[in-house]
Amino acid sequence: MRKPLVVLALVLVPVSAATGCAVDTRSPARAAERFHAAISAHQEAAACAMLTRQTAEKLPDRGQTCADALKELGLGPGGGVTAVSVWGDEAQVRLRGDTLFLRHFSDGWRISAAGCSPVRDLPYECEVED
Amino acid sequence: MVETVRRVKENALSLTFLVLFLLALGGQAVAGLLQFNDQQVAEGAEPVSLARFVLSSSFAVDVAENWQSEYLQFFLFIMLTVWLVQKGSPESKEPGEEGAESDEEQRIGPHAGPDSPRWARAEGMRLWLLSNSLGMVMGAVFLLSWLAQSVAGQAAYNAERLSDLRDPVTWGSYVTSAEFWNRSLQNWQSELLAVLSMVVLSIYLRQRGSPESKPVGAPHASTGVEG
Repeated sequence: MRKPLVVLALVLVPVSAATGCAVDTRSPARAAERFHAAISAHQEAAACAMLTRQTAEKLPDRGQTCADALKELGLGPGGGVTAVSVWGDEAQVRLRGDTLFLRHFSDGWRISAAGCSPVRDLPYECEVED
Repeated sequence: MVETVRRVKENALSLTFLVLFLLALGGQAVAGLLQFNDQQVAEGAEPVSLARFVLSSSFAVDVAENWQSEYLQFFLFIMLTVWLVQKGSPESKEPGEEGAESDEEQRIGPHAGPDSPRWARAEGMRLWLLSNSLGMVMGAVFLLSWLAQSVAGQAAYNAERLSDLRDPVTWGSYVTSAEFWNRSLQNWQSELLAVLSMVVLSIYLRQRGSPESKPVGAPHASTGVEG
């Protein structure tokens, strides 16, 4: 009966690894809260530093800085965290006043989209996105 | 040394398949990593290491979806050939021999020989387990691999959905989704076609020396004869 057990282990080991037995939901939640705290404190440049590179580059119009664009958007208050989903290197954090999408990098979680509203089962429409 | 060579020769078929399996799995890991990282860079994400990739849901779902279909194929082949025959195929029993066969034909109980497995002489549960062990193990590995595919598939699918700014789905939604069934059925159809080809082509075609074929001179109508 050794062979079936080896096969079983080969099936279960990658699955348990893939599903991530201990998912860290606190880090993306904190990143989302920090982003909204920076906006509330009118520290748009600091908020821009928390965006993914692609999102930060896409946000401003010609002749505008990322901070100017964020200021102009005037995202509302985020509020407390109500739900966090983490799958692989992607996360969604729901705050009372906003839904954000985040991506994990070697230096931590960064915001790839914010100011998002659901559109049935279609992608969220976001004020800030990559 | 002579003993080692003898043992390798006696197990050459399984050893060769084991080596080929490991090479193919390694190749899949490297090719999969290159494709995954290409997509990561295009999406503005960071490339991952080989070690991280082989532990990812993306790699796990690709491996599991192929495993489940292979074990399903062999499970069905083992179980259906008990009850169904194909005249002329070396993969089939003779017409009229359908079913579990007599204890004498199966060499169990009082008909077991001195070299039979110990449980073939036993009665009750032990005999039943040995009598059905091949089908049960193939069926169990199929179900476990399919479960693994569903769990890893949900994780990979949800990462993709979040990246596309969509809500993640529950496991229940995933196993009823088009994504899950497309992955499953595209593998099943190819495995079923392969078995069908083997059963039918081996009626008329031969491979000299292969036990999977009838002897070259065997008539097309002869069933259950392996070369």
